[in-house]
Amino acid sequence: MGPFQSSFCHLHVASAYSLRYGSAFPDALVKRAAEHGMDMLALTDRDGLYGAIKHVRACHTAGITPLVGVDLALAPAEEETRTSRIVVLARSDGWGDLCRLITAAHAGERGAPSVTPELLAGAERLTVLLGPDSDVGKAMAARRDGEARTLLSAWRSLVPHLAVELVDRYGYRDATTATRLLALADNLGVPAVLGNAVRHLDPADYQIGNVLDAARKLVPLHGRHVEPSSHAYLKDGAEMARVAARICGGDQGRMLRLLAETRRVAESCALNPVEVVPLLNERHPILHLPEVGMDPVPFLRHRCRDGLLERGLHRSREARERLEDELRIIEGKNLSGYFVAVAGITDMIRGNGIRCAIRGSGAGSLVNYLIRIGEVNPLEHGLLMERFLSEGRVGLPDIDVDVESARRLDCYRLILERYGSARVACVSMMETYRARSAIRDVGAAMGLPPHEIDAIAKAFPHVRARQIRAALDDLPELRGSGLGDRALETVFRLAERLDGLPRHIALHPCGVLIGNSGLGDRTPVERSFQDFPMSQFDKDDVEEAGLLKLDVLGVRMQSALAYAVSEVRRVDGEEIALEEVPRDDEATYDMIRASRTLGCFQIESPGQRELVAKLEPRTMHDLIVDISLFRPGPVNSDMVTPFLESRHGFRAPSYPHPALREALLETHGVVVFHEQVLRIVDAMTGCGLSEAEKIRRTLASPDGRRRVRSWWELRVRPEFDAETVEQVWQILDAFGAFGFCKAHAAAFAVPTYQSAWLKRHHTAAFFAGVLTHEPGMYPNRVILDEARQCGVEILPLDVNHSDREWRVEKLTLNVRREDLGPSRPDDARASAARVEEFGRGYGLRVPFSAIKGVSEAEVDRMVAGRPYTSMADFWARARPSRPVAERIVEVGGFDAVHGLRPGEPRWRPGRLTRRDLIAQVGALERASRSGVSAQAVQLPMGFTEQVTPGELPEMTEAEAVEAELAVLGMDVSRHVIGFHDELLDAIGVVRAKDLLRQRNGAEILVAGVKVATQTPAVRSGQRVIFTTLDDSTGPVDLTFFESVQGHTAATVFGSWLLVARGVVRRTGARAISMRAVHCWNLSDLDRLWRSQGIQAVRDVLAERPDSAGGVGGRQITYENGYRISPYADIGPAAGVKEPPRVLWHASMGSSGPTP
Amino acid sequence: MSRLYGDPIEVWVRDGQPARFVWRDRLYSVRQILDHWVVAREWWKTSETDPGERRFWRVEAATGREIGTYELRFDTASEAWLLIRAWD
Repeated sequence: MGPFQSSFCHLHVASAYSLRYGSAFPDALVKRAAEHGMDMLALTDRDGLYGAIKHVRACHTAGITPLVGVDLALAPAEEETRTSRIVVLARSDGWGDLCRLITAAHAGERGAPSVTPELLAGAERLTVLLGPDSDVGKAMAARRDGEARTLLSAWRSLVPHLAVELVDRYGYRDATTATRLLALADNLGVPAVLGNAVRHLDPADYQIGNVLDAARKLVPLHGRHVEPSSHAYLKDGAEMARVAARICGGDQGRMLRLLAETRRVAESCALNPVEVVPLLNERHPILHLPEVGMDPVPFLRHRCRDGLLERGLHRSREARERLEDELRIIEGKNLSGYFVAVAGITDMIRGNGIRCAIRGSGAGSLVNYLIRIGEVNPLEHGLLMERFLSEGRVGLPDIDVDVESARRLDCYRLILERYGSARVACVSMMETYRARSAIRDVGAAMGLPPHEIDAIAKAFPHVRARQIRAALDDLPELRGSGLGDRALETVFRLAERLDGLPRHIALHPCGVLIGNSGLGDRTPVERSFQDFPMSQFDKDDVEEAGLLKLDVLGVRMQSALAYAVSEVRRVDGEEIALEEVPRDDEATYDMIRASRTLGCFQIESPGQRELVAKLEPRTMHDLIVDISLFRPGPVNSDMVTPFLESRHGFRAPSYPHPALREALLETHGVVVFHEQVLRIVDAMTGCGLSEAEKIRRTLASPDGRRRVRSWWELRVRPEFDAETVEQVWQILDAFGAFGFCKAHAAAFAVPTYQSAWLKRHHTAAFFAGVLTHEPGMYPNRVILDEARQCGVEILPLDVNHSDREWRVEKLTLNVRREDLGPSRPDDARASAARVEEFGRGYGLRVPFSAIKGVSEAEVDRMVAGRPYTSMADFWARARPSRPVAERIVEVGGFDAVHGLRPGEPRWRPGRLTRRDLIAQVGALERASRSGVSAQAVQLPMGFTEQVTPGELPEMTEAEAVEAELAVLGMDVSRHVIGFHDELLDAIGVVRAKDLLRQRNGAEILVAGVKVATQTPAVRSGQRVIFTTLDDSTGPVDLTFFESVQGHTAATVFGSWLLVARGVVRRTGARAISMRAVHCWNLSDLDRLWRSQGIQAVRDVLAERPDSAGGVGGRQITYENGYRISPYADIGPAAGVKEPPRVLWHASMGSSGPTP
Repeated sequence: MSRLYGDPIEVWVRDGQPARFVWRDRLYSVRQILDHWVVAREWWKTSETDPGERRFWRVEAATGREIGTYELRFDTASEAWLLIRAWD
């Protein structure tokens, strides 16, 4: 049996891309097959080709021949309860047929793909395998021999290439069923092949298979539900020969024939890797380009010439030459049609009134600017085409555009309508198991109670599943949590094993595949949750398969900008063309320099507010540099300090060599951009920019850097001395993967500027957009407070004035004339205006949609029914649910209608209070339930149950704010910290507005609402927690280093209101940050104060704990000495982001703090 | 008819298969393997990392001139053999 051992080919193999079924990745399976000496391997994942491209690529690398097929369910006949499954392999010319078969299988109910035998009738390019899971195999296992015979005869007459697949995985009766199947196949003259229905790489992986079985079927682990799979691993040829011997019962001749037949079928299904994955041919990949209905080459040239004229560049020699260069590369790569198609799409998106901006390296192409795909002129910012598309680059260019997030799906629909689902499809992506999802699925399989599973899963930050047990040991906030319990050990051990396994296919957030009418032959297409046609390939697969895509990314800020512009139009009747706004407005830059950038695109984070204050941007170019500098790379390789020193003239800019001055002038000698790397390499070696781009990409890996080093020493021109060569090499080496694509930053800087300009000049409208679309990192209550600080009045919910979304209202009463309207950019005094004047004269109205628990249908009725004459009227016509109606009363939605006002005095005999109204909501609901018609209660105050006005006490102001936080998630009438003023003053807390007056190094107390917590990657390799507190006078930025996290981490993550002790650190003329030493939950201190008095609070604050145990875990060290914590840059555990239900722990006899 | 026993037995193994066994003081020699299957243990009920598997053999065996069918079980975790049932 020697020769058969190496020539055996597994025809039925499931990888991890068989969702919640397989456990091994395609490359691992291929590697193992190669180790077994096999020269062919099939991948037949369940329901699709999700792993097929990766399999073909891995086979090509390992030098073995790929086979690809699919494991599909048969559409169940009516009387059947369990579905049967068959395997369909593409024959050598059958890739397209396989794709179309899978697409057809997914045409029925979403998530339940299946085929009928009729669908396979006469399939010349496919081979069908009927194994033990097929209808034939199941009939045989149930000893219904006659039925098995009838079924197999029917298959034989339908399908030209049919084989019976014999599988014996040592289960009970496996071998006897296989033997009887073999006899039937022989009897009917159908070929038989040997398979192992592989699910795993190694025997021990079956436990994970059991968990996946339970997770897939949504049942707890039980012998009844799991497939016995301890032998479903990738066996070698010798083991498979033993299986063959078992089935053939010692008949050596039959066994050899079985193995030979298996080999023959495998050979008929051998695929040519390059045909399936064109990009394996690096020189001349065959691309599947879009059809544009005409010869795209002259058409693109024509459009570019028109563009030169339209953009006023027709006289520029530089532009004409650049255009010629770009077109030469585009035409050389046959990509003219792609550009024409993309321009058609962006035109169409804008034509439908949707904001659309280019992002990424595509902004570096003049062609993109000329045919109006993007609005960034690359010549103006010195952007290079080569960073986007170059002769040397293998792979396809990606054009990325940002559209309004709220209308992204509209864009997809437009594209689909124009090109049809035969030509375009969305790109998919695999969601994989991470710590939380793995714990949930394993916990459910092990039968833990759902609420326990939930609590355990939420305790973890967003780490990888395989870090679970390490995280338990390393992180101080988990160490004390009791999760280290031995009972959970098995759960965690198994959850770690699920790490990275795909669990769910989803629509990629932005990729749209643009193909031609042959798309159906290249990729299987299924439907996404929102019913979009979706390729089974992810973004890498799509490119490998030679398909072009356009990234249409939904960006919330674009929606916010569009909303702000529409509010200005509605309220002021002014039409703003954001693209035309001059980008040199002094007042806007003034606001940015004062770091009043909360809400603005890209520059609102604590770190960015610190950086803009130091960098002091005055032009678009400064913004581009600012955005590029605020990346882990530049921050960690300490490019920021030398740059700032040179910029402010504390240090003369230094250039390694005069020849590099031109490339580095714009950033004072510091390398910030990818484009500069290209220019440096080109200037010193003369290799050309395309080659330089290739070199830059190679610098990303340590191995690549070694290769580039020797290339560098050979190619550097002789006029550069050895010292310069070495010095520049150090820069390139350190720069490595870091740095930023300037084209990307230039594209980002546009909406950054636009958002800042709107904030400065149309403040209320800007905040309406930000509150409605929530584009940033801060919760709405922080944005609302910023709006308040900018002079915008916050108007409470009012059933007669509130709308679906946040609305701007022009205030007409009690406003002096000079306060009216925003300052104009041409106003000389405008730039000196104080923050609180920005939005003067305008108000923001809390919308119906902000009410907790309100449904869309309720909002529709509330908006349509305005105006209302009373609460009863509202109840009758808007028909809210009782809790929603009560919440509206609680936050004052009827104050205007009924003339209510919270606060003192609380007892108001004869006058209606909010609490009376809440009682009336109950009465109304009882009346509606008892069948009294709505008409009967429509009279104002005409209630079926009489509620006497003034019977119940009015809410205090504190209670009103508490209700606002609970219902709206934000404090509308006043800032929540105000209720703690007495305590905070008593312990001497410093307010944000007074921080600048503190001396450097002073140790002080600060307090506020926690508005942001981040753990970014930092230079030292620590996990550092950055927290921002808001105390109504401004933000306070705190840094918790590992040394204090032992006693602070749990409090930082677990509290909403914080008091912290920290050391003042001056970071710039107008910038302060604090190094935290200790912190406390303000609610706890408040309770202590009320029960035991101020001295008890002072005692607690005086504690100086020794921090035992910081953050563990091995730091990840990069080649250039850059180290990061394994817990950096991941989303922290959910922690506490919401206000607690009760904010004040009222002591006996007190009705809460006196405001 | 078959009877269930579950008696510990001693087994001699040749080429990975049972060849002879002693049950209730009598020596049986295996004439033919009729069936062989493997059942993975319900590992989630135990605390062991590797609960092992149970290997079953249905064999035709003879003691003297009496020939019968017997089911043997080998537990990989405890490395112990049992005679599960016998047909006579």
